[in-house]
Amino acid sequence: MLNPKRFRLGRTGIGLCLALLAGVIFVADTYTDLEIAVAVLYVAVILVSVRFDRPALVLWVGGASAGLTILSYLLTPRGAQHAGLVNCLLSLVAIGATTYLVLRAEAAEARTREAGAELAHMSRVTMMGELTASIAHEVSQPLAGIVANGNAALRWLAATPPDAAEARRALERVVADADRAGDVIGRVRRMVAKAPPSRELVDVADLVENVLSLVRSEIRKGQVVLRTDLADNMPPVFADRVQLQQVVLNLVVNAAEALGQQETGPRDILVGAATDGMTITVSVRDSGMSLAPAAIEKVFDAFHSTKPGGMGMGLAISRSIVEAHGGAIYAAANPPRGMVFGFTLPTGGTGSDWSHA
Amino acid sequence: MPDGQPVVFVVDDDPSVRDGLDSLFRSVGYAVATFGSVQAFSLHRRPDRPSCLVLDVRMPGPSGMDFQAELAGMGDPIPIVFLTGHGDVPMAVRAMKSGAVEFLLKPFREQDLLDAVRAAIERDRARRSEEAALTELRARFTSLSAREKEIMAFVVVGRLNKQIAGELQLSEVTVKVHRGQVMRKMGAATLAELISFASKLAR
Repeated sequence: MLNPKRFRLGRTGIGLCLALLAGVIFVADTYTDLEIAVAVLYVAVILVSVRFDRPALVLWVGGASAGLTILSYLLTPRGAQHAGLVNCLLSLVAIGATTYLVLRAEAAEARTREAGAELAHMSRVTMMGELTASIAHEVSQPLAGIVANGNAALRWLAATPPDAAEARRALERVVADADRAGDVIGRVRRMVAKAPPSRELVDVADLVENVLSLVRSEIRKGQVVLRTDLADNMPPVFADRVQLQQVVLNLVVNAAEALGQQETGPRDILVGAATDGMTITVSVRDSGMSLAPAAIEKVFDAFHSTKPGGMGMGLAISRSIVEAHGGAIYAAANPPRGMVFGFTLPTGGTGSDWSHA
Repeated sequence: MPDGQPVVFVVDDDPSVRDGLDSLFRSVGYAVATFGSVQAFSLHRRPDRPSCLVLDVRMPGPSGMDFQAELAGMGDPIPIVFLTGHGDVPMAVRAMKSGAVEFLLKPFREQDLLDAVRAAIERDRARRSEEAALTELRARFTSLSAREKEIMAFVVVGRLNKQIAGELQLSEVTVKVHRGQVMRKMGAATLAELISFASKLAR
């Protein structure tokens, strides 16, 4: 999908090949003796037609294959009629069975894809629930500023004599605060949108900042110090912005929760992003407990959680997102204490197949 | 800042909210001082004027609630109006029980905030004038002689001159003279007033 035009040409190419193949089989089937069951090869045509991802098309190809098989049987001039009939029936059974199985497999795969998308959306919504409090705070802050500044401006204007300079300054703050509230809402909207995967050039540092701005106050509530170390001028990555936000959010929220569980010791989170030109590495370091090597191996498994009440889906989903982007996710101890979770992404759209993330 | 003008102290880590409150309170005629953290406020030397503290609950470092407890521990009586981005009922109850004047959710209504601040300033003004009166009373009481203090103690519990004279082995006339001195020095016109002074001093 990197280059849609080329991809469409590819599909047309496959379609032409299919038609050609069917034609060759038809001709061979018609001109060979009735005893030779060339028609079974239509199975190949049906199997290839699956690549179009359209059940109706598969059904159509199956029906056409069956029709051509019968036509060949009727047109074939030479051979034993009896063996020919048996061969024809066997070919029809093979074509019918293949069509049926292919359609079933296709439907199952579609359900899996849907379930995956549903799950990803669900976990995003769950996380949003946890973050509602934080977002309410992010929005109420500029609103409080607007209320205070707006009323102040009215009073400065109503004073005798009116103080236009003070009123202007207050109104400028009203506008800035309104913009700020709008930004928060825009970020939230982008985050909850159940959008199909879409690729765009994404500035990773910008994306990380965006996510952190949403969780900052929630993290602060846990008396956690959040620091960033984001490299300047990193090349963009070709990625689904919403999905990447989800991964970063997941790692940061995990780190904050891990720190929340510990009674003593420093509570620091360092979110870093760096690049070597070919890949970008985003890492989240916390000063909490270190996991044992055996436990680290399991953290990305689905339904495995180290948190009380955790669903064990966050890191599993994060891993599938990162891998679908052609990257890798990792976890390691962060000496002297804590964990580092991070992921790498190839820079600048070095195309990898990720069509169903 | 004209002398005696009430001061509103604002502690909020959000610069825009801070500036907005600063402008709002100045526009209604208060003097305002703003701070980004409770530490900064703690280091500030406050003028001797009616004042109140508008405090954000959630900030980096010690929270507003923690700071309320700290102030109470130090015996600092400054009235507090809490502002919070998202408070819950237990938090509000705790703040009010600990003596907060008001607990307002952001975004607040202007009138609610101004009412709360006015009430807080009034509370501080009342406390100040009461304290000033008490200081004055203490000074008057200190000006009494040892004998006068002794006699005042008997008078305010309702003893008659004759009884006091008996207790202290004095003549009734002497007691009467001392008693007159006590009333004059304490600035009490009636016995009832003297009794109320005594109960204030004893508190």
